[in-house]
Amino acid sequence: MIGSEKSLSPVFHDDLASRWYIPAEVESLRSLYPIVVMINFVSLAIFILREDQDLIFSSSMQIVVSLVILLLLYKLDQGQRFIRDGVIAISGLSLLLCVLQFLSGPQIIIDYWMLGWSLFPSLFAIYSVSKPIVTLWASGNQTTRSAELGLYRNRSVNRFHGKVFRHVALTHAVAFVVLPILWILDVALSPGNSLGGGFFDSVTMEHFNHILSSESFWIWTRNSVIVSIGTTILGLALAIPAGYAFSRFKFRGRDYAMFSFLLVQMFPGVIILVPYFLVMKALGLLNTSVGLILAYSVTALPLCVWMLKGFFDTVPKELEEAALVDGCNQNNVFWRIILPLSLPAVAVTALFSFLAAWNEFLLALTFNTSEEMYTLPVGLASLISSTGQAWGDFAAASLLVSLPVVVLFVIFQRFLIEGLSAGGVKG
Amino acid sequence: MKRAFIAILSFILLLPIYQASEISTLEADGDVGYRQVELIWSTDSPTQEGTIFQIWMSNETIIETINATMHSQVTVGNTSGLIQPEIGEWYDDCTYNFGDGKWIPVYRDLDGTAVVPSETIGVNCTLTGIPPGIEIYLAVMVINPSNESILSPSISSSSTSSDEEIIVIETSPYIFAIGSIALSVIILLFILRWMDYREGKTTSRFAHIYIAPAILALSVLTFYPVLYGIWLSFTNADQSYLGDQSIIGIENFITVISTSGFFRVTGFTLLWSIVNVAAHIGFGLLLAMALNSNDLRGRSAYRTALLLPWAIPSYISVLVWRGLYEPAGALNDFLGTDLNLLADPNGARIVVILVNIWLGIPFMMMSISGALQALPKDMYEAAEVDGINKFSRFFYLTLPNLKSALVPLSLLGFIWTFNMFNVIYLMTDGGPNLDFDGPGSTDILITYVYDVAFREGAYGVAAAWSVVIFLMLVVFSWTYMKKTNATEAVT
Repeated sequence: MIGSEKSLSPVFHDDLASRWYIPAEVESLRSLYPIVVMINFVSLAIFILREDQDLIFSSSMQIVVSLVILLLLYKLDQGQRFIRDGVIAISGLSLLLCVLQFLSGPQIIIDYWMLGWSLFPSLFAIYSVSKPIVTLWASGNQTTRSAELGLYRNRSVNRFHGKVFRHVALTHAVAFVVLPILWILDVALSPGNSLGGGFFDSVTMEHFNHILSSESFWIWTRNSVIVSIGTTILGLALAIPAGYAFSRFKFRGRDYAMFSFLLVQMFPGVIILVPYFLVMKALGLLNTSVGLILAYSVTALPLCVWMLKGFFDTVPKELEEAALVDGCNQNNVFWRIILPLSLPAVAVTALFSFLAAWNEFLLALTFNTSEEMYTLPVGLASLISSTGQAWGDFAAASLLVSLPVVVLFVIFQRFLIEGLSAGGVKG
Repeated sequence: MKRAFIAILSFILLLPIYQASEISTLEADGDVGYRQVELIWSTDSPTQEGTIFQIWMSNETIIETINATMHSQVTVGNTSGLIQPEIGEWYDDCTYNFGDGKWIPVYRDLDGTAVVPSETIGVNCTLTGIPPGIEIYLAVMVINPSNESILSPSISSSSTSSDEEIIVIETSPYIFAIGSIALSVIILLFILRWMDYREGKTTSRFAHIYIAPAILALSVLTFYPVLYGIWLSFTNADQSYLGDQSIIGIENFITVISTSGFFRVTGFTLLWSIVNVAAHIGFGLLLAMALNSNDLRGRSAYRTALLLPWAIPSYISVLVWRGLYEPAGALNDFLGTDLNLLADPNGARIVVILVNIWLGIPFMMMSISGALQALPKDMYEAAEVDGINKFSRFFYLTLPNLKSALVPLSLLGFIWTFNMFNVIYLMTDGGPNLDFDGPGSTDILITYVYDVAFREGAYGVAAAWSVVIFLMLVVFSWTYMKKTNATEAVT
């Protein structure tokens, strides 16, 4: 920000360093306060929903105060010492409002969070604008040397602020991700089917015992295991030779075949659902595992072929050429040399097909309508339906079902993400 | 005191006038249709206004109503101003007569309860929703205006038609179609191989055999259903016409366009997709940049935690979120509010969008993270030396360089979100405000197609919807690609 003529000190008015220099603290406050204003608006909305008059008043005041601070921060410049004093004074007012807000209203977690978003920014504002270097800058008495030093110092201060800001942002994101998971753990461990109440008030294993001793849970698990393993085996049996052929051979129709695999990837599932259902119905494959296995292995096929082609591409061609020269035939080269070398890649592809089949919902819901043939997704969803709201059992079962999946995903995240973003499909 | 006196007086006065009716005959016929039993009863004397017939059913002999459930009731009352649906128009068909053998359709009041005029002697009701194939007992209880109730002896019957509607589907056309597709694919591969052979390509001897299984599976289980679906959209196929459907031209497409709420559901689908993709990319970019700095402590812990919404099966997350938003759920505890968002149309729309945003961020975060790592580092160093601030660095360096990654990602995200079935089906099932014909408040196109196909059984119409959706996606993708390419050429 280039200062206007009158705000420049008379001695150094054409000095580049002092013209350019704005303390990093002020810059950080300028980018922080819009967020503070936004969060204050969110709290106002919550208080309006809560119909709490006192808090509505105090958070409206807080919004006004933070808007004034934001305005002052943008007005603050060299030689504007009284604006700096204004920032300190208004931040003090914001602190006072925080105390008032703390003394009134119900004290639940979210209140502390909202309070924190007024309290810490104003403390930070008071602390940083009353630092000597900022005071010097705001009073317009700085020398060129101090401006140069300040510019140098800004880099490390910026880095520090960036780091803090990153941690704050990431902590918020993690809280947003983790809270529902903690909540479902609480529901699984608390007695009855209550959804609310305090976190981990009373702990019981009744839901876990109930779900583990229920016959239907084991039937669904058996169906899911059969379907997922069947899908993995059939999918790999189809995909491995095709991936190898696409990776190694130049043959007529190769480009068209590869394009058709890409095309299928772009088809929305909806256009297939109804005719798929009718074909399966006609062939008598509804309410069987075979129907689902066929459907899943074909839906996962294009991605598996592309993943495997990518992996085979990385196996050096010289190995095969040497084997061929030594008199090994093409089939043996594939089975004895290439396949053993790419076993890790095949394992990742297998894991991908397994997870896709394990988590699929729509086709399982449509094809297998008898309770005997439900897979886990449809079975778990049936626990929460119009007929029953067994939240406790559902919570326990969903933790049991997702734990192995999440562990596998986290362990193999790097490979899975590489493969998935290469083929472009969400799990 | 005065009121009680009047009540007693009127009771004494009315008692001799209102003659209590009793059931004199009761017959049941189970051979009338799918899950139906026809029940016919008559009274020993003309019924009085205010009498109520309650039909009770049970799977054991009914002596008291404790072990039975009430199926429906017929009231005797004033019929003026009530509608009188024709036979077949209503859920339970009922007729009545005055003892002259002429059956007249009953009236219906605002709740749909059957109403017959006074002096009625006989009533004939076709009861629906009877469990098929098992013996059930039916009885009629007469509640006279004096509140005296008499339960008739129960009568047993069973709905004879079996539970499964037996529709014989001719498998041979399907087998024929699949067989001919498979055969032509094999012949095509053979011809391609033969052409290669003539050119003397020996290294790729097995290539066509290697791809044959995958190509066969793809054509039989994907391309064939797609073509079959397009053909279905021009036929009148539905639950009862399956197998002998006939071509009816573009009638299904007219039905689609003229559905009440066609533009509303299309509009909400577009809003849903655009808001979701924008939020996924925005938050994904923000988090990817936060994760991407060199000196971030605990980066892999953060990344693993942020990946959780992707790792957890989506149907589980969606149901968990639904529990959070229930009126008794944790959201109200957490905010200290008293909301029932899922029952309010706009609240439910916001909620489903929020849940899908939660689900989709990790994928975008990881994809953008990969693209960010590929950006040249020295570009940023040069910018920092030149004193470019971080906003300008973001808008003039990061965004333009990420564009080649963001354009296909956003298109892909759009197509996925457009077809995201689980979130809406499991959160709201399209509700609130589910009408009988027409999409609910939060229905998007794909959930509505599911309803048309599998709740209404209108396969032909559903196939037409699918084709329309596919065309919408094609048009959108094409314009999007064109527009983004055009701007790329300008800059």
